[in-house]
Amino acid sequence: MPIPELEKPIIKGLIEKDKVVVDGVELDGTWNAFMIERTQTGYDPTVWDEIANTVEGATISLCWQCGTCTSGCTMREYDANYSPRRFIDLARKGDKQSLIELQDSLWRCVSCQKCTHRCPKGVLVEEVVHSIHNYMLKHGLVKKDPGTVFDDLFLDTVMKNGGRISELTLGAASAKAGFVTLSLKDLVSMGGALLRSGLVMEVMKPNRVKDWDKVKSVLEEAMKEEVVPE
Amino acid sequence: MMNPYGKVAFYPGCALDGLGRSYEVSIKLVTQDLGLEYEKIEDYNCCGALEVKNVNTMAGLLLPARNLALARQMGANAVMSACPGCHYSLSRTQYFMSRYPKLNEKVNAYLEKMGVQKYDEQLLMIHVTEFIYNAIGPEGVKAKVKRPLTGLKVAPYYGCLYNRPKAYTLTGYMKIKDDPERPHFMDELLEALGAEVVPFEAKTMCCGGPHVYSDAPTSIHLEARILKEAKRNGADLLITDCPLGHVAIETNMNKIAEKYGENLRMPLVYFTQLMAFAFGHSPEETLLTANITNPLTVLKRYL
Repeated sequence: MPIPELEKPIIKGLIEKDKVVVDGVELDGTWNAFMIERTQTGYDPTVWDEIANTVEGATISLCWQCGTCTSGCTMREYDANYSPRRFIDLARKGDKQSLIELQDSLWRCVSCQKCTHRCPKGVLVEEVVHSIHNYMLKHGLVKKDPGTVFDDLFLDTVMKNGGRISELTLGAASAKAGFVTLSLKDLVSMGGALLRSGLVMEVMKPNRVKDWDKVKSVLEEAMKEEVVPE
Repeated sequence: MMNPYGKVAFYPGCALDGLGRSYEVSIKLVTQDLGLEYEKIEDYNCCGALEVKNVNTMAGLLLPARNLALARQMGANAVMSACPGCHYSLSRTQYFMSRYPKLNEKVNAYLEKMGVQKYDEQLLMIHVTEFIYNAIGPEGVKAKVKRPLTGLKVAPYYGCLYNRPKAYTLTGYMKIKDDPERPHFMDELLEALGAEVVPFEAKTMCCGGPHVYSDAPTSIHLEARILKEAKRNGADLLITDCPLGHVAIETNMNKIAEKYGENLRMPLVYFTQLMAFAFGHSPEETLLTANITNPLTVLKRYL
């Protein structure tokens, strides 16, 4: 089995030279292999504090690292690097470097809630993982992933379309953002069903919350507020 | 059997005003036939689903909280959602609001600014499956069946958020809630219609949910697994109670069939549609005609 990228720093530390001279004396034989410093430095203890101080991430401190979350995880089967247990461990250590390396996995949670449901310690794992990901995004440590693009787009669609979404508005917005969603064949079968049942009028009908402009302005104000788990 | 919930407000959610229309129409038919009452929250807004909460904490709490406050204004004791995603969002807000008093104050202050009353955390969140099961029960359903679906093999798909996580949805804490790992309420309702419920291990398996658009290959594979499990056990229909999963599987059906085999094609029906059909309503009334996967190919033998 190939060595995982994350374990490689240890291997890289091995120096093999044909000729090694220490204090003017040449060494030979088995002495010519040295292990350079292989302890990782630069842990940032503020990561744990900051995540524990968000509403979603407050339960990160309860984790016992038992791995129940990860053993049942939906995403784990698709991505060997996807491990809520490891994300929590790395975040608590403050190992930003490893989290940056894991950025292609970090966003992939499908929110199936098995982890949160099964955690014996009451960690809201799904929320904590999103909180860790949000920390990385907030500090500009990871690039923007498709999941986050879609989340932003969803909120934007809700805001712009009177507080509700429809398959039409969301579909149009995601097509615009470059998520290829439906092929011609899909559209034909979908359109057929909609026309057959007369549902097409329902889907096209504009649908708004009555006082949306007022609600929207309050929401925009609220979104600027920093909240802590108190 | 008595309705144990008191006054029930119905939160339809955005999905039911779009492609999930057939779900709402059939819920109405079924509850009318069973004599169950609920009042719809007319001026509802989006619950934020699984997306908004990742963008902004306050928006993720305020959107559902407004709906809860509206339900309380109607004098409701329970909020019934048809979409497990909405059920989850509303329950989540209740959980955080009751856990953190200062946060609660802030949310309530913004609610008042929006022009709705404060939310007093006095609601019980329920799903429509639980409502029908607990207020009428399988026996009551059996009494209304005019078109017994004898010989119909069905696989009930509950979706992730119907009973998870237990901290929010309170499954496993009280008898009127379904089993937290192996739900059976829908199974019993379907058996009451005369249908045969096949063993189905993918009952609460994920369909890719919030990443249906952004991580399509994974979602399609997950959906194919659900269909494969249903096929393996010989089901004719996949019965859903989740408009997110229903719409995702239906719209992706062509892609699934292309990638994982044509034999995975299977019609999808909302469980209330099947109930309304068994109660004697026509396919047009129950909007079975609106399902993209065309379930009438299987159901026409009962007409």
